[in-house]
Order: sequence, then C-alpha cells, then structure tokens
Amino acid sequence: MSGLTVLYDPTCGLCRRAHGWLAQQRKLVELVFVPCKSDEARRRFPHLDHDLTALDLTVIGDQGQVYMGPKAWLMVLWALSQYREWAYRLSSPELLPTTRRVVSLISQNRYQISRVAGLSR
Amino acid sequence: MDIGVTTYTYLVYLAISIALTIWVARTLHKNGRVFLVDVFHGNEALADSVNHLLVVGFYLINFGYVSMALKLGYSIATAQEGIEALSVKVGMVLIVLGGMHFFNLFIFSRMRRRASLVNGPPPVPPDGFTQVREA
Repeated sequence: MSGLTVLYDPTCGLCRRAHGWLAQQRKLVELVFVPCKSDEARRRFPHLDHDLTALDLTVIGDQGQVYMGPKAWLMVLWALSQYREWAYRLSSPELLPTTRRVVSLISQNRYQISRVAGLSR
Repeated sequence: MDIGVTTYTYLVYLAISIALTIWVARTLHKNGRVFLVDVFHGNEALADSVNHLLVVGFYLINFGYVSMALKLGYSIATAQEGIEALSVKVGMVLIVLGGMHFFNLFIFSRMRRRASLVNGPPPVPPDGFTQVREA
C-alpha cells in the first residue's frame, strides 16, 4: 500500500489540529486529506456511504480498502515513520480492546474536547 | 621506589585497559557487520562504513574514559597495594566497556527492528472495499 486517503471532519477543531500535526510528520505511506462529505470525497469514492464517514474517522487505501473508527486511527499511525511500532503495539490482541474504547471515546466527544481545549473556531 | 611502584601500576593499567578496549572493539566490529548488512538491506558498502564509524566512536569514548580514570590520587608503596589499585581501576574499565557494549547491541537491534518495520503489513484488516476513482 503506497497511499491512504483520510476523510476527516473539517467542522471539528481537534480534527483540524490533528491534521496539522500529521502534515508535519515523516511518513512511510503518503496521506491525502479530504474533508468528509465534500464533493471531492463523493467524486473519489462514489459508492461509499458518506453519511457514515461523518460519524467517525475513515481511511481508504489506494486499492479501495475501507478502515473506519479505531482501525482508521491505527492505519494513520501505521503510515507515520515514527509511530509504526505503536500501530502494531496498539493493535495487538491484548491492547486492541482498550485502543477501541479510548479511540471511540475521543471520537464521540470530539466537539466537546475541541471546545474545552479551545480548539473550535 | 615509592614512585616506581605507582608508575608501574599506571603502565600495567594502561596496557590492560588498551588491550581490553581493542579486543571488545574488534569483537563488535566483526560481529556487528552481519546486523548492519541486514539493516541496510544487503548494502555492504554502507554497512561497512557505519560499522567503522561506530567502532571509531567506541574507541574514542573508551580511551577517553581510560585516560580520565588513570590518576590514582594516592601513592603506592607495595606491590600488594599496586595490585589492589589495579583491580579497582581495571574493574571500572571492564564495567564501562560492558555498558558500552550493551549500548551498542541495543543500537544494532533497534536499527534492525526499525528497518524491518518499513516493509511491515497494515496492522488491521480493512472493514470493506469501495471503488476508487483517480484524483
């Protein structure tokens, strides 16, 4: 796999902040950022359920592999040179349940977190 | 006579320390090469170069320590005192060499692990597939 498209939520401050941080990281796999439910996203992935992508982070591989929620987070981590090891660690059978729980918690409360952290515009 | 024993102690200390450092560095140089060739995906020229640079650093740090730790701070009257002082000094050199050696092994294994991750497969299977239209 040589590229991943990240469908992120442009209305959430935390996601924009994460986008900025990711842009600066050294990558092993190219990351392309497209706002979810945008015309660009619909054009690139005509058969995808775009309402679903607004609920949680979605990452799509260059062969059309769809990763949603915690899996999408792990794939983004895997794309980063400095954090690939962490992607394997967090996806191990022992840690995966915890990873899922923590990621879901952050995802579901992303607007509140953004507001509390002063990241919302 | 007083100065004589102290000086001999210093000379023996230097001889043992230098011999030990050379022995450990050569071991590292000889056996570390295989690791590095693997890390650099068979690029032997690069592996040899990095190997050599690592050994130079190893020599510099160890000889630096041996040199700094030479001074006893007291004079020695008898051969027994000389041997006792020598055992402490050489013991310290051995411990520093051991520490440096394990540190080097740690670096080798870390480089190797990092290199093996570059071609690693995705950590999780996809949830599904969708059609992709080129950008």
